[in-house]
Amino acid sequence: MVITFPHMGMMYIPVKALFDELGVDIIVPAKINKQTLETGQRHCPEMACLPLKILMGNYIESIKRGADTIVLSGSCGPCRFGYYGVVQGEILKDLGYNIDIIILDPPSEGTGEFLRRLKKVTGNSSIYRSLKAVKKAFRVSNELEGLLQLVLRQRPRATNKVSIDQIMNRFENRIAASKGADEILACIYDTRARLERVETDRNIKPLKIGLVGEIYTLIEPYVNLEAEKRLGNMGAEVHREMTVDSWVKYHLAPDIKHRRRHNRILKKAEDYLHLCIGGHAWETVAHSLNYAREGMDGIIQILPFGCMPEIVAESILPTLAKDEDIPLMTLVVDELTGEAGYQTRLEAFVDLLELRRSSVSDESGKTLSWY
Amino acid sequence: MNVGIPRALLYFDYFPLWQTFLSLAGFEITISPPTNKDILNKGVSLCVDDACLPVKLFHGHTADLADKVDVIFIPRLISISPGEYICPKFIGLPEMIKNSVKGLPPLIIFDYNLHKDLKGEKIAFGRLGTELGVGGRAIDNAYKEAKRRQLIYRGILESGQNPLSILYPKERWDEKLGTKGTIGVIGHPYLLYDRYISMDIIRKILDNGYNVKVPANVSHSTIEKRLENMPKNLFWSYGKRILGSGMDWLADDRIHGIIFVDSFGCGIDSFVGELLHRYNIRGRRLPYTTITLDEHTGRAGFDTRLEAFLDMMEWAG
Repeated sequence: MVITFPHMGMMYIPVKALFDELGVDIIVPAKINKQTLETGQRHCPEMACLPLKILMGNYIESIKRGADTIVLSGSCGPCRFGYYGVVQGEILKDLGYNIDIIILDPPSEGTGEFLRRLKKVTGNSSIYRSLKAVKKAFRVSNELEGLLQLVLRQRPRATNKVSIDQIMNRFENRIAASKGADEILACIYDTRARLERVETDRNIKPLKIGLVGEIYTLIEPYVNLEAEKRLGNMGAEVHREMTVDSWVKYHLAPDIKHRRRHNRILKKAEDYLHLCIGGHAWETVAHSLNYAREGMDGIIQILPFGCMPEIVAESILPTLAKDEDIPLMTLVVDELTGEAGYQTRLEAFVDLLELRRSSVSDESGKTLSWY
Repeated sequence: MNVGIPRALLYFDYFPLWQTFLSLAGFEITISPPTNKDILNKGVSLCVDDACLPVKLFHGHTADLADKVDVIFIPRLISISPGEYICPKFIGLPEMIKNSVKGLPPLIIFDYNLHKDLKGEKIAFGRLGTELGVGGRAIDNAYKEAKRRQLIYRGILESGQNPLSILYPKERWDEKLGTKGTIGVIGHPYLLYDRYISMDIIRKILDNGYNVKVPANVSHSTIEKRLENMPKNLFWSYGKRILGSGMDWLADDRIHGIIFVDSFGCGIDSFVGELLHRYNIRGRRLPYTTITLDEHTGRAGFDTRLEAFLDMMEWAG
């Protein structure tokens, strides 16, 4: 059995750590590029959401490299993600691939079935070994998150932005060559030290922009056309609560502290939306409110075209932005999004925030503390 | 007090339930007129661009009621069957309306959630009664009667009648008794029975000498049976109805073709439509077409596609 899984930002790093520790053979999905999207797009329904198409491209590429089992997490509605596995399975079947798709639905939908499927993935590892592997993977996820947050903080301040790209490229190359959680952790620590040594301009007071939106679109840089990097290079500090690590902490790891903070943020947005409508729309609204209250300069919502939950959030956000007096921009991405137009919109937004800051003058004394 | 009900979305499936309940609870009811150009334009301009046509129409119908009634009834249908949902936009509908349509009278938001169990319905109506300021006994009776009429409606549909024959009783919906065969028309109720937006597709097919079957004609138990072997429970109630009835028709000799009517940007249709299309190709290969509707759909192009399909039906014999 050779397992592959969807590609989403740097999620592959903790997943790789997990499977390495379990001793399971995996094919780490290749980085997403235009080819991936085109392959996926060719076989997927036109009206499907963008992540479905890209994941499909991922799978086909990995299958050609020898994968025979796909593992992905599931959900039980109402967002379309919950049915990805089935639709993709049928498409792969028609394409003539004989692939086993293991959908890990949340244990709340049936603990027995969850454990049975999990056993299929973990293979012959003992429970002790599995738990140890999971624990290590959580650690990797947590440390990686710290690293990525550091990138977001350093980029707007760095005098030479390219040095950050170089360090991160080197990081990913080294990860590809390493095996096991310990090697990966060493790699993360080393890269962190490098990033901290990057020369920065201490007098800079970067604009603070909160990113909200659909989880896959936010996390995968290919899909959001590297919004974080673009904004960072323009000198804006990007904040994003929606991360792999926070998803893991909320859904998988019993991290009570994180969960309570998360629920507290959600509850604050009650006046705008008070229930889960699927996907991460509630988070989008709640995080926006949180960012506004924490004194961010602006909010950008990014969603894939046709994303059902985010459309609801999109219609709520303008009211919120008006109430809280914070600039807001919604960007819809799909396979036809043009790079130049996108860049222009980001630049215009950053210009607007700069103008606004100089006219309002920064006397409110509101600053965001790094947690 | 005059309660307005927008003639959009699941009104077409639930009007006996809602209307009976509200009128027995002692309210005057105003239903927005059938969709017209003005309502469509209002909806399109008020709603966010990325929403699907039916949701935009709901905005239009709500806006149309704004200065005609005292309160507007907005259903929040979270789930109509245990373990299932309808669509995220249905759950967030009241929020979408509140934030997009200005100058509305007070909204009566009807939270309806059967995700856990069927008891949710009685609770929902109890809460609605309290919100409207009507006492317990009257609510109980109104609910019972409303439920009874809803079941009668469901029964009539399952016996094979087209909902349009109830919505438009003055016209005849069985005139020709299809000499040429039967076409299964698949789509959400809010597309098929909104004659403006569906370009009156059902009437056009009938006029061409074919019988029409719609998903509402297929019984719940048949749908459950058809979907028994799905690798994972389909968690959208209307997705289930659409796919289940489509699969039933694929196995039914009395059906000679399928037209899938969906709206641009419908997330659920993009998935179930894909599955049904693939099942058809693997199996019986019935004449099958998908017609996508949106606010820009032109009548001429629509008619051409329908005619082309009907021609294909004749060739297929």
